[in-house]
Amino acid sequence: MGLIARAAEAAGIATVSIVGLREIAERVRPPRTVHLKWPFGHPLGEPGNAAQQLNVIHYALEKLYTAEEPGLIFEPDWRWRRERYALPEGWDF
Amino acid sequence: MSDFDGLRQNLSRMFGQVLSHVPALAQTWGRTFESVISEEVPFTRLPKPLREVRLALATTGGVHLRNQTPFDMADSRGDATFRPLPAATPREDLMITHDYYDHTNAVRDLNILFPLEHLRDLVAAGHIGSLGTCYGFMGHIEPPHLEALINETAPEAARLMREEGVDALLLTPG
Repeated sequence: MGLIARAAEAAGIATVSIVGLREIAERVRPPRTVHLKWPFGHPLGEPGNAAQQLNVIHYALEKLYTAEEPGLIFEPDWRWRRERYALPEGWDF
Repeated sequence: MSDFDGLRQNLSRMFGQVLSHVPALAQTWGRTFESVISEEVPFTRLPKPLREVRLALATTGGVHLRNQTPFDMADSRGDATFRPLPAATPREDLMITHDYYDHTNAVRDLNILFPLEHLRDLVAAGHIGSLGTCYGFMGHIEPPHLEALINETAPEAARLMREEGVDALLLTPG
């Protein structure tokens, strides 16, 4: 996936990649990465938990604006379950 | 398909299912996975606010339209092709073909993997400018298909996005 991000970025498209394995991102080096150590197949969280999913989207899109240098990996350190998510506010990036 | 290829593929499938449920094992696998090692990192700044951005979504989770050719699961080295997914596609027209991770929950709620419905809501709310065509790939791509991804299909998808005026891309794995 990082390879697709790199191709898009090289073509002039800003990218942010959500990954579950930091070790691969460290080697492939997507331009901007959000690492969540959650089970495979659940990059945005639990089924039915829209607030959790939107928090991941909000966090990732914000990185399109705040990542200051190429190749950074961001970790919100959210737990997979038992985390309370409020709907994210403030989308004016 | 040779017997060896078939065996290799079945082992990969089982392994992918196990990794889906044992995160610690997945981390170990990540450390030993033979991936491309990159030094330079391309970087494009986003020169406009999100409310004006045309965003696309791409996933390597094997998402495609029901009427598109499914990803090739018979080749154990993966399938480097992609499927364009129009941003207005209804949920019921999308499906997943990818044997190497457990997508039971993603089938129940596709937004955990391919959050097209959330992105459409964010456009409707005025937070995101618009959506471009989205793209389904499958992960688990090994040589020689890895070279096809790097040199052909990923740049081709990027070219199509540029042609459509896409400014930014959100990517999710399987």
